[in-house]
Amino acid sequence: MRRQRRYWLGVLGGCLGLLLLAVPYGQAHKVKHTPAELKAFQEVFLEQVRLGDLLFHGDAETERQLGVRLSRTGMACAMCHPFASDTHPHEFPKFQEQMQEFATLREMINWCIENPNEGERIDPNSPAMKALEAYIYWSNRGSKLDPGRH
Amino acid sequence: MDRTDALRLEHVRRQQRRHQNSGELARLRREMDKTLRPPGVHPDRSLGITRRTFLHRSLLTGAVAGAAAYGWFPLLNTIELAYGAETFSFAWISDTHLYPKEVNTRFVEKAVRAVKEVQAMQPPADFLIFGGDLAQLGDPVELQLGNEILKELTITKYFIPGEHDWYLDMGATWEKLFGTSPWSFDHKGVRFIGLDTISHAPDYWSAKKMTPKERMAHMATLDSSVAGAWAAVGREQLTWLDRTLSDWPKDRPVVIFSHNPLYEYYPPWNFWVRDWREVHEVLRPFTNVTNIHGHVHQVLYNEIGTLRSIGMLATSWPWPYAPEGVPPLTIPMVRVDPGDPFDGVGWGKMTVRQGERVDYEYMMWRQDVLATAPWDAGTGDNINQILSPRLADRMWPYQ
Repeated sequence: MRRQRRYWLGVLGGCLGLLLLAVPYGQAHKVKHTPAELKAFQEVFLEQVRLGDLLFHGDAETERQLGVRLSRTGMACAMCHPFASDTHPHEFPKFQEQMQEFATLREMINWCIENPNEGERIDPNSPAMKALEAYIYWSNRGSKLDPGRH
Repeated sequence: MDRTDALRLEHVRRQQRRHQNSGELARLRREMDKTLRPPGVHPDRSLGITRRTFLHRSLLTGAVAGAAAYGWFPLLNTIELAYGAETFSFAWISDTHLYPKEVNTRFVEKAVRAVKEVQAMQPPADFLIFGGDLAQLGDPVELQLGNEILKELTITKYFIPGEHDWYLDMGATWEKLFGTSPWSFDHKGVRFIGLDTISHAPDYWSAKKMTPKERMAHMATLDSSVAGAWAAVGREQLTWLDRTLSDWPKDRPVVIFSHNPLYEYYPPWNFWVRDWREVHEVLRPFTNVTNIHGHVHQVLYNEIGTLRSIGMLATSWPWPYAPEGVPPLTIPMVRVDPGDPFDGVGWGKMTVRQGERVDYEYMMWRQDVLATAPWDAGTGDNINQILSPRLADRMWPYQ
C-alpha cells in the first residue's frame, strides 16, 4: 500500500516537473500571432529569397557583400536553371550521379559552383548558401515532395 | 519485380507506345489542321509527321557512327535539302554566346570546333546560316571574336541577330560586321528568308535611365521580366515578308530562319514572337514552309497550320524545357550531364523531297539522343516540378 502511494507520488511529482519545464515554452506558443508578426516573418524569408535570386543570377555586388565567388566562367546558375527549373529541390536528398554519392541540395549547389561554373565552393552553412537554398525552394514551392527520385 | 516496379514499367511502356504510335499525334495534327487550314485549301501531305521522323532514332545510329568516324562533334546543325534534281546541304550554327576569351574558353573552343567542322564538310556546304546570339553581352570584343572565328569559314555566310548581340549598342556593331536583316535569296528551288525577331523590344530602359550595360544585362537574362515581351517580327517586317513572298508559287518550299520560334511556346522566356499570329496569317497561303530557329537551345518540333518549326541546338549550353507549352509533337531530348560541356548540343539534318515534305534528323555526339523513358527525358523528369516566376527582378536593385 505504502509502495503504491509512493509510486503515485512519484508520478505526480514527475508530471509537475514536466509542467514546470513546459510552461515557459507553452506560454510562447499560446500567444496568437498578429498579422504584423506574420508579415515580419515573411519579410525575413523573402529577403533571403531576394538575395538568393541575385546570387543565382550572377549579381556581382551581392557576391561581394556575402564574400563568395560563385563563377569564374561568366556562367550564372540561372543560365542553366531559369526560374530555378531543373534544380529539383523536392528530390533531395538522393543519390547524385555526378558525385557518385548520396547528396543533399546544398552539396549539389556546391558541385555546380565548382564544376560548370568553376567558382569557389561555399560553406554549406553560410548566409550565401542559405539564401541560394531559399530562392531555389521558393521558386519550386508547390512541387510534390519526392526525395530520392532520380 | 514488385508492384511499384511493375507499375513503373507499365508507365514507361505506355509512354513508349504513345511516342511510337502516331494515333495521338495524328489526332492533334488533325485538330490543328481543322482549326487553322483555310477553307478551299487541300490538306497538305507534308504536314504529317513522317515515318522517318519516328524512325530517326534508328537512322541516328548510322549517322552517329559516321559522325564519329569523321570526327564530327555535336556542335553544328547541318541541313540537307533536295528539291527537284539537285541536292545540296548547308550548315547552321547559333547561340555560341561568346564571352571575351579570357573569361570563358569553353564557349570559344566549341565555336571554333563547329566552324572547323563546317569547313571540313564533304561535300562542302553551300552556305552557312548563323542564327544569332554570337555574343553573350553584345560587347564589341565578343562580336569581333565571333567574327574572327567565323572568318575561318570560306563558304558564303548569312547572319540573323540574337538579342544578346544587340542591346548594348542597339545593333551598331552587329550591323557593321554582319549586315542588316531581313534578307531573302533563292537557292536551287527554295526561297530562303532571314528575319530579325529581336530588335523590336518595347523601350524598358529610357524611363528608368538604364545604362547600355544595364539594358543589355536585363536582355541577357532569360528569366528576367524587365525586358518584357521583346521578341517580335514587327509590322514593317511583316509587310516586307508579305511582299517578298508575293511572287513565289504557293506550293514551292520556303525556309524561314529566325532567332526565336515563330509560335507561342513559352512567352516568359520569349520562346515565341509576340506577333506570331500575324506571321501565320502572312504564311497561311503557302503549303510548304519550314521555320528553323535558335534561342531555345533544345530539340523542338512543332506544326501549326502549314508551318512546321524546328528548334536547333546551341553550341554553348542547353536550356531546360519550359515548364509548360512544349509542343506535343516534340519528342524530348535526353537529360544532359551538366558536368560535360559537350553534352546536350548537337546537329541536325533536314531533307526536303520534291517539295512534298521535310525529313529531319537530330544527331548528337552521344549514344542516346531522344528520351525513351520519362525519367531520362528533359520533360518527363519534371512531372513533380511546379515553378514560380522570380520576384527579385521586380525589386531593388532591378526596379
